[in-house]
This record gives sequence, C-alpha cells and structure tokens, in this order.
Amino acid sequence: MSSPFTALLASLIRHRGVTGCMVVGASDGLIVDASLQTGVNGEAFAALSASLYRKAQRAARAAGFGEAGFFELDAERGHMCATGRNDLVLVVVSEPRLNVGLLRVEMLRALEAFA
Amino acid sequence: MSDDIRALSETLAADPSSVAFLQLGDELRRSGQVELAWRVATRGLERHAQRADAHDLVGRIAIDRGDPERARAEWESVLALSPDHGGARKGLGFLAFQRGDFDGAERHLSAALAADPLDRSLAAALDTVRASRSDRTPEAERQPTPALDARALFQDVLGDERQAAVLLDADGYLVAGRYLAADGRDLGADIGAQLSGVSEEADRAMRHLGLGQWHQIVFEAETASVAMAPSGSGVLLVAAPRTVPLGYVRRLLERSLDRARSWLGANA
Repeated sequence: MSSPFTALLASLIRHRGVTGCMVVGASDGLIVDASLQTGVNGEAFAALSASLYRKAQRAARAAGFGEAGFFELDAERGHMCATGRNDLVLVVVSEPRLNVGLLRVEMLRALEAFA
Repeated sequence: MSDDIRALSETLAADPSSVAFLQLGDELRRSGQVELAWRVATRGLERHAQRADAHDLVGRIAIDRGDPERARAEWESVLALSPDHGGARKGLGFLAFQRGDFDGAERHLSAALAADPLDRSLAAALDTVRASRSDRTPEAERQPTPALDARALFQDVLGDERQAAVLLDADGYLVAGRYLAADGRDLGADIGAQLSGVSEEADRAMRHLGLGQWHQIVFEAETASVAMAPSGSGVLLVAAPRTVPLGYVRRLLERSLDRARSWLGANA
C-alpha cells in the first residue's frame, strides 16, 4: 500500500536512531500511514503521542502562546517528536541516540506534504 | 474530550443535582479547560453550598484563573465547614507564602501536614517557609521581599526579562519564579497551571510506552518556545520568545533546574 506520506516516512526512518515514524489522525489517534521497526507498538505510540500533542496544543493556546508547532519529549529510553497540520500529526519515535536538530528540520519540511 | 469527561458530563446532564460536578470540574481543570471547569464548579456550588469539597474545587480553579482573592474566600469557607480540610489548608498556606505571610503559611501548612503526614510536598513546603523566615535579616525585614525572593529565583539565570521560568508543585501551584506580561502583570501561576497539564499527560504516556521517566519536553508555539522538566515533586517551566534559539532555551532550562535544585535543597 502506498500513500501520499510513504516517501517522507521512508526518508525519516533512515535517520540514525529512529525506530518508527507515523502519520496519525490528531483527533482520533489512529495511524494513517507508518514505517516501524519490528517491536515498536505503533498503535500505542500513535494514540498516546497524538494525545500528548493535542494537550500541548491546548496548553499553548490557553497560555497565550498560539499554536504549538514542533514538540519533543526526551525520556530515559528514547525520544518522541511530533509536529502537525490539518488534523494530522507526524510522529517520530527513536532511541536515545538521535540528532534531534536534523530530524526537526526534516519533520518541519515534511509538513509541506500535509498541506 | 476524554471518555471520563464525556461520561461525567452525561451523568451531570441526566441529573443536574448530582455531585458529579466535583469530578467533572476537576477533570476539566486538569485538561486545561479552565473556563468550562469554572462554569461547572460554580453552578455545582450554587446547588451544594454546604459541601466543603465544592468550595475547595472553586478555590483551585480560581487560582488557575489568576484570582487568589476568590480562592482565599472559598478556602476560608471550606475551613468554616470542615476545619481539618487539608486541601484548603494547603491552598491558604501557599497564598500566605506568596504574599510573605510566613506565620500564616506555617500555620496552614502545619495543619495540612497533620491531616496528611505522608504528603512529602507539604513537608518540603513547610521547610521552605521556615527556612525563608529564618533567613530573613533585619534589613530584609524592612523590605516586603520574601515572596519576591522566590519569584526572582531564576532572574539572574535567565538574564533577559523576556525569558521566564516558573517552578510548580505537584498540584500545579506556583512555588517560585514569575512570568511578567508586557503590562507588568505576573502570569506565572496562570501559565504554569495551563502547561503543567502537559507533564501529567507525559507521565501517563510514559507509563504505557515503556520509555522510562521523561527528562525534558520542549515545544515551539507561535510566539514562544517552552521547555519543561520534572523538578522535585513538581515541574519547572521555561518560556522564551521564538527568536531565542531552541538549543539556548534547553540550556536555560538546565541552568534553572540547577538553581531550583539548590534552592529546594537549601530549604529542605
């Protein structure tokens, strides 16, 4: 199966440390398209990361900071990055070793495909 | 809308006299829907004016709305109905601390700790109050600055007035730091309450995803970049204009965490 997001996901998954990347519905947390390494629970990541991204968006608006753009969470055993547009969220999950700056640039560029 | 909020809304719609407004108001507050939480809570309070927990809920939401006077009035109503209410004592203790009334803060926090001896955040807050009072020199006593000391905790770390840091406890109450709006108002408590919900959501996500504890969250919004990290039993937030590079915002967060650690340690 191929979707409008297949090529950008294929590019993101090649980043060192990235174990999964997904396009997820912002409101329902369901996967639209994904490229995942074996063992990554895509559905759980999709649902929880979309929920977290929504929460950040609401909080940013409520705090008067406007719409949230790029979101990154660092944890003991990895990173989760997200950005979105038009009710879609692009989510990347990675191991702790990751060049976040490079990934951020590519994710923001990839948002063009969401227009 | 979460399933809990939906279910509670339906329960309350089916029976407007139900006490489901207590849980619904709290869920809405935690999810950042403060104005909706306020409407639900104040309507519920009209029907249940003799319930201490209804006044407590309205008090907590009043804090989120930046109205400490209303919060104080509600928590005093709670104590009139239930003199040992720990939540009201805690809220009044923080309000007293913020205005530099250490005696009042100690009295309320001691009573709250007596009601809940296992609450470590209360013990830490009480220690902070006692240390702040004992540190006050005669010269400092002439200046109404104890609360300002806590609010200015990150001032030299941040440097630029447009960069702000706030330290919140586990309940989203402002412990130290400030966020000054262009008109000079301190929005620290307001903004902290809105953003602390993100850390709660992160805790929930981490429990399910097996990524371990989260160390740091950074996100960029239209007008500001925000970084946050767990600090003590609460969370530390740093906000800076979007013109400040994201890597620098991370470093401001790390420096502010060090400052919060040493301040909390010194006051422990």
